[in-house]
Amino acid sequence: MRLVTIEDIRAAAAAIAPHVVRTPLLAFDSSLWIKPENLQPIGAFKQRGAVNALSRIPSEERARGVVAYSSGNHAQAVAYAAKTLGMTAAIVVPENTPQLKIDATRAHGAEVFVVGITERESRAAELVEERGATLIPPFDHFDVIAGQGTVGLEICEDLPDVATVLVPVSGGGLVSGVAVAVKALCPNARVIGVEPELAGDSAASLKAGELVRWDAHDRARTSADGLRAEPSELTWAHIKEYVDDIVTVSEDEIRDAVRQIARRTRTVAEPSGATVVAAHLNRSLPEGKTVAVVSGGNVEPALLASILG
Amino acid sequence: MIALPDVLAAAERIAPHVVRTPLLPFGRGWLKPESLQPIGAFKLRGALNALALLEDRSRGVVAYSSGNHAQAVAYAARLHGVPAAIVMPSNTPEVKVAATRALGAEVFIVGITERVQRARELVAERGAVLIPPFDHPDVIAGQGTIGLEVLADLPSVDTVVVPMSGGGLISGVATAVKAIKPDVRVVGAEPALAADVADSFRAGELVRWDPVARAETIADALRDEPSELTWAHISRYVDDVVTVTEDEILAAVADLARRARLVAEPSGAVAVAAQARLGGGGGGVAVVSGGNVDPALLARFLAT
Repeated sequence: MRLVTIEDIRAAAAAIAPHVVRTPLLAFDSSLWIKPENLQPIGAFKQRGAVNALSRIPSEERARGVVAYSSGNHAQAVAYAAKTLGMTAAIVVPENTPQLKIDATRAHGAEVFVVGITERESRAAELVEERGATLIPPFDHFDVIAGQGTVGLEICEDLPDVATVLVPVSGGGLVSGVAVAVKALCPNARVIGVEPELAGDSAASLKAGELVRWDAHDRARTSADGLRAEPSELTWAHIKEYVDDIVTVSEDEIRDAVRQIARRTRTVAEPSGATVVAAHLNRSLPEGKTVAVVSGGNVEPALLASILG
Repeated sequence: MIALPDVLAAAERIAPHVVRTPLLPFGRGWLKPESLQPIGAFKLRGALNALALLEDRSRGVVAYSSGNHAQAVAYAARLHGVPAAIVMPSNTPEVKVAATRALGAEVFIVGITERVQRARELVAERGAVLIPPFDHPDVIAGQGTIGLEVLADLPSVDTVVVPMSGGGLISGVATAVKAIKPDVRVVGAEPALAADVADSFRAGELVRWDPVARAETIADALRDEPSELTWAHISRYVDDVVTVTEDEILAAVADLARRARLVAEPSGAVAVAAQARLGGGGGGVAVVSGGNVDPALLARFLAT
């Protein structure tokens, strides 16, 4: 299996630069900085992988458009990337997706299909078949992983002596790309994945040394709705090779982290994006300069109000 | 009056200590999120520039402020190893008082009309140097670095919308923008409840409002009025002033949380409210000046 390399990530960085925000590091406390990917136009890092993947579709295939399935942020990312690059997008989302994310996806001009949470892959496959469109998976794709890796590239540029990078883990596209970049550019830094306890399948896999599968309904219990997917063979290969550890955090710790991020960095994080700060605040992690990748900020205003109030 | 070289020199001085805030797409325009600075507001730029230029550091600095300048001076003073005494009016939000103390400054709480006098007393007692919130060329030059960054990141910008209170921010930004690209419009934004600069702008001379009247707006950082120095910059460089209602300000706060994932204080959202009134900001940049709002208060804005 071919793994993503730092050269792939450098190429992705050049391809996506005009279409993503170069997010700065923001100080959280004396040892932690956040990498605020919630400030991307679609409110999540997923824009990086989507723009990279779409930009690499051969020109003769572009007219037939793209299809994606996603719990939300990847949906918006593909819709946004398609609009930016002048392509059509059909997006399949599970029925437990927050309305905010569905509306935002439609607002980018995509056609949205809402299905049961276990049916999204099959429905996406049907759409690809019907239309001859290109499937852009949320994480199980070489170009998507390379695009997400640009987050790691920027972290090492801005804080070369970083000791630890904390990354949320779901399907594993973000942590795979970031880990490749960090291990290449800051070889002494540790890359630690973070999962909700209620969707801790990757932590269990890393302990077992092989992919452990959790039932999709179990993984759907967490409030971190962006972290309910599971790794593919491709992302697992990257995780096994490059990720040092995966820790888990509780639902209460996640809520508190959303509050702390709002107060200390003046940004809005969704529960999934706040898991990394929860790990910093509640787990004994290696000392030294740490960067937490706050992966997204698409939270329903009513939920945010209840967390902050 | 300050000039472009002052702003360019300030940019070099403060660069290691401020966040190079990116422009964020927002509707048809862009945001310059100064709420992402370490103290949560643009004021850090001016304070850092003034502290870097301080000649006698041993007796410390004194500042008076409704909040964000206080934290800015406290932060910059700590960075430069200078003691700081900060005078704050009694209506300052608790979150700002606590944050200023946490930065190691000595805080004095006084009635809202007494702060200048108390600060002068402290200066006399201690032989310290007063760092005013806006009425100082080094402070204005520091704030002007925002204008440099906007032009560097978006050469096609046609309008920059900037909140106004004492006028330090808009004076610096307008000086930088007009020196480099005179065709770019610089528009000030004020709450209608503290619209003394809008009145001054129309009258062609400084019009004064009673401080108690200006204190009615929820935009607690926009209750000041210009000095002769900032008014000189405003009357020379600013193209227009737009006022916005309290409801428009709160809608902008909620909109920023929802669509830009930014926590903005009401004062920080005033330029965004003005940009919305101007038609959504095609080609324009709105400066989000600060984000120090009590999370529980933000929750209330989001729930309504």
